[in-house]
Amino acid sequence: MKIMKVELFKSTGKIALAIVGGFLVHLLLSCSGFETHPYDVNIKGETGINAKQMAIIEKEFANKEELRIAFISDTHLWNAEARDEVEDVNRRNVDFVVHCGDLTDTATEKEFEWSRDILLGLNCPFVALIGNHDFLGTGNQTYEVMYGACDFSFIAGRIKFICLNTNAVEYDYLASVPNFDFMEEQFTKDTDKFDRTIIIMHAAPFSDQFNNNVCKAFRRYLDFAPGLMCCIFGHDHSDSVAEFYNDGLMFYGIDCALHRNYRIMTIKKDGYEIEQIFY
Amino acid sequence: MVMLTCSLHVMAGDSLDIQQSKFDRRLERRQNAWLSLIPTHFVIQNAGNMGTLSAGIGWSYGKKRKWETELLLGFIPKHDSSRPKLTTTLKGNFIPWKIDLSKIIGKIPEDRWRFDPLTVSLYLNTVYGHEFWKSQPGRYPDGYYEFMSTKFRLNLALGERIEFKIPENKRRRHSRIALFYEFSTCDLYIRSMFQGSDVKLKDIIGLSIGAKFYTN
Repeated sequence: MKIMKVELFKSTGKIALAIVGGFLVHLLLSCSGFETHPYDVNIKGETGINAKQMAIIEKEFANKEELRIAFISDTHLWNAEARDEVEDVNRRNVDFVVHCGDLTDTATEKEFEWSRDILLGLNCPFVALIGNHDFLGTGNQTYEVMYGACDFSFIAGRIKFICLNTNAVEYDYLASVPNFDFMEEQFTKDTDKFDRTIIIMHAAPFSDQFNNNVCKAFRRYLDFAPGLMCCIFGHDHSDSVAEFYNDGLMFYGIDCALHRNYRIMTIKKDGYEIEQIFY
Repeated sequence: MVMLTCSLHVMAGDSLDIQQSKFDRRLERRQNAWLSLIPTHFVIQNAGNMGTLSAGIGWSYGKKRKWETELLLGFIPKHDSSRPKLTTTLKGNFIPWKIDLSKIIGKIPEDRWRFDPLTVSLYLNTVYGHEFWKSQPGRYPDGYYEFMSTKFRLNLALGERIEFKIPENKRRRHSRIALFYEFSTCDLYIRSMFQGSDVKLKDIIGLSIGAKFYTN
C-alpha cells in the first residue's frame, strides 16, 4: 500500500512537473524578450511619425480643393475597438486621419507601440496629438521620439491645421501650455500658402486639463488665426457639438474608441460638413 | 561592528569553561538574531522590468530554505529618454520543490546538482526620478489617476533554476551557485489585459536570466 502511494505520488509529481515545464516552455516561445522597464523609452520600430506623415500630407494635398479628414480620439487601451475604427476609416476613402490624443492609458512604452502599430494599419497618412494620459511616467518623452513635437502644424488644401498641446495640468501649469508664441508664429507664417485655419487639441478650454485662467485669452488669440473655421478636440469621451464662447466659433468633441464612433469632416471651397460615423 | 565582533570573541571564550548565565543566553540570542541579517547570497539578473541589469543581496530562510527575500539595485540606460535611471527592488521568492538531479540522472554524484522546477516571485520595484510619483500629485482632481502609481510597480514572475553545490574542498567564496530564468510581468500590463480586449499574454511577458551565489 505504502509503495503504491509512493508510486502514485511519483507519477502525479511527474505530471505536475510536465505541466509546469510545458507552461514555462510555452511562455519562453511566446514571450516578448527581455523587458527593461515599462517607462524605459526604449522604442522599437518606427519613430518620428508626425514629421514623415505631415510631409506626405503636405505633398499630396497641398492644393487639393476638397478634403476628407477622419478625426479619431482617445483610443487608450481599447485596442480591439481601435482596430475596428482603423478598418472602418480605411473603407471610407478619407485623405488623412488626425488622432486627437490619449493614444495610451498609462503611457508605457509597450502601449505606445501597440497603438502605433494599430494606426500604421491605416491606408492613408495620419498624425497624432499628445493626450494627458500619454504624459504619465516618461510618456511625453516616448511621444516626442515616436511622434514628434507636442505642438505642430501642417497645410493641406490651403488650410492650416494647428495641433496644440493643451494638457496644462500635466505640467502643473508651469509650461507655456497652450503655447501662445507657437500659435502666433503659426498664424503669421506661410500666410501665402493657406487661407483658412482649423485648431485641433486634446483637452478643450474649460476642461479639467486646460489652463482655464487663459480660456478667454486663448479665445482672443484665436481671432488672429486667418479664416478660422472651427476647433476640434478629444479628451471628454463623448461626441459633442458646441459653441464654448457663444460667439459662433464651433467646437467639435470627438468620442473615444470604446463608444465606437468618430467624425469625418468634408471640407469644400465654401464650407465644411462634419459627420458622426458609427462602426 | 568592531565592538560586536570583539564581544562575540569574548563570549566564545567565556562559554568554554563556565555555564552560560541568563545574561549570556540572552546576549547569544540577540547576537544570533543580528547574525541572521547577514545576507546568505549575492544575486545578479537582467531585465524583469527592473532595469537592464540588477544586482543585490538576498536572504534564504525557512524549512528547506524554500523562501528567499532579495534587495536589488537596477540600472535603466538612457535609451531615448532624458537620462539614465536607477531602480530598487524588494523581491520575495518561493521555491516549492527541490529535486536532487542524481535521483533522475544516475551518473552524477549525489547532492551535487539540484533542479527547482518552479520558482514563484513577487516583487515591488521603485524607479527614481522626478517624472515618477508614488500617488497622483495634488495638481490633479481627486480620482484622476487614482488607479496607479508611476513610481511603484508590482511584478509577478514564474521561473526555474538549477543549482550546483561546490564540493567542500573546492570552496573559495561560495558554497552554492544557482542559475535561473523567469518570466515576469507587472501590474500595469496585467491591467492592460483587462482593459484592452485583444492584449495577449505573450505581449506582456518578459524573460530574465540571472545567477545567485550562496555562502550558506
